Amino acid sequence: MTKTFEEMLEELRGIVRRLEDGDASLEESVAIYERGALLVKQCEDLLGAAEMKLTELGRDR
Amino acid sequence: MVLSGPSADPDRFGTPIFGVSEVSALICGLLDDVRLHGIWVRGEVTNYKDHTSGHRYFSLSERNGRDSALINCVMWRSYASGLRFTPKDGMDVLAWGTVEVYEPHGRYQLVIRELLPAGPGERHLMVERWKRELDAEGLFSPERKRPLPAFPRRVGVVTSPTGAAMQDILSVISRRYPAEVVLSPTAVQGEGAHAEIAEAIRRIDGLVDVIIVGRGGGSFEDLFPFNHPDVVRAVARCQTPVISAVGHEVDTALCDFAADLRAPTPSAAAERAVPDRAEVLRELSGHRERMRALLLHRLAARGSEVEDLRARMHPRRLERRVHERMQRLAEHADLLRRSALARVQRDRSALAEVRADLLGRNPLAALDRGYGIVESEGRVVRSARDLHPGDRVVLLMKDGRCRAVIEEITYDEDL
Repeated sequence: MTKTFEEMLEELRGIVRRLEDGDASLEESVAIYERGALLVKQCEDLLGAAEMKLTELGRDR
Repeated sequence: MVLSGPSADPDRFGTPIFGVSEVSALICGLLDDVRLHGIWVRGEVTNYKDHTSGHRYFSLSERNGRDSALINCVMWRSYASGLRFTPKDGMDVLAWGTVEVYEPHGRYQLVIRELLPAGPGERHLMVERWKRELDAEGLFSPERKRPLPAFPRRVGVVTSPTGAAMQDILSVISRRYPAEVVLSPTAVQGEGAHAEIAEAIRRIDGLVDVIIVGRGGGSFEDLFPFNHPDVVRAVARCQTPVISAVGHEVDTALCDFAADLRAPTPSAAAERAVPDRAEVLRELSGHRERMRALLLHRLAARGSEVEDLRARMHPRRLERRVHERMQRLAEHADLLRRSALARVQRDRSALAEVRADLLGRNPLAALDRGYGIVESEGRVVRSARDLHPGDRVVLLMKDGRCRAVIEEITYDEDL
């Protein structure tokens, strides 16, 4: 299942915190950074590509 | 009734005489009755006057055939400023207030705090009653309030498809955030609107991430369906968080109290329902910059570490290290050899012990002590019962073998 926007943003915030902590090795940091950069891109794409849509429910069930 | 305590002396005929203030005080006392405090009174407005002071003076009257009754009323400026309509003579109204005596003029009057046109007034009272009942059911309790989702994918809207509210909501959301707006259409005013609104809420519940229930501004009558318990209960029972936005800032409806959030207007509800795309994008690029900076910092730190190591790998230093290492290696080798030798020694003496032990158990060693072994047809004979007179056997002795013939067998005991 694909992640929701909220989950992606939450993961991204976690990644920034991990990089800030500096506990990860350099290799890990690079991997984490790459993941973070991908998430930023995906989030931006989601926000950028989509437009508001309007649908209407029928009045009958 | 006992008239007590006239202060002036009786006249010469012994009749008690009261001061005006005494009588007035007595009347005040009589009218100081809880049945006349905080009451709703219905009547027709007569002699209505807007005083320049802002206070309102008029009467409420009631006609019943030939009988009529009238009570003087006053509405002080502070309360009159809250009037939502202009009273006129002949209007049927509901007034809420307390009967008080105005001693300087020797009159009693209804001091009014709230004044409503009778039709809406009655509905207003009904709303008050519903509010108490629904509150008692716990539908308005703050513990029921749930947080709204931060990034809803679908926003449900329960309102009129042709109303201003829908236009306002669409314009705000299209400007802010790319959500899908799902309209659950309903009438929002008029007879039976409350049932339709409640049904529209139930229909969309669970299909979206957040629901906006509302309509644009209108009269108390127009907003009335949003007070109905059917609507309030439908809102309270929603699994999906609900934002209520009924009318303008000053308007409240009971469904506001049951919703997870009350927004002053439909536009404000839309703003609360979705985040601002631009803000989110700013947060994202902030994260990107921060990550870059952190990684670069990290790389720079590692770079200087490497530089430091390189400096420490000066040839002479290195050579000395190699020598050190070689020497330590030689020491280790020597140690290893010596411990291996010791091990072998230990193993040897252990072997000697085992051997001595084995020798002790060797059957042939018994021959040394004078025992012999009887063999018959190549097998050791362990029992006299294996032999019969006339059998040929071999006796193995310490220093030779003897052939023998069994002459007689005697068993030690019968078994």
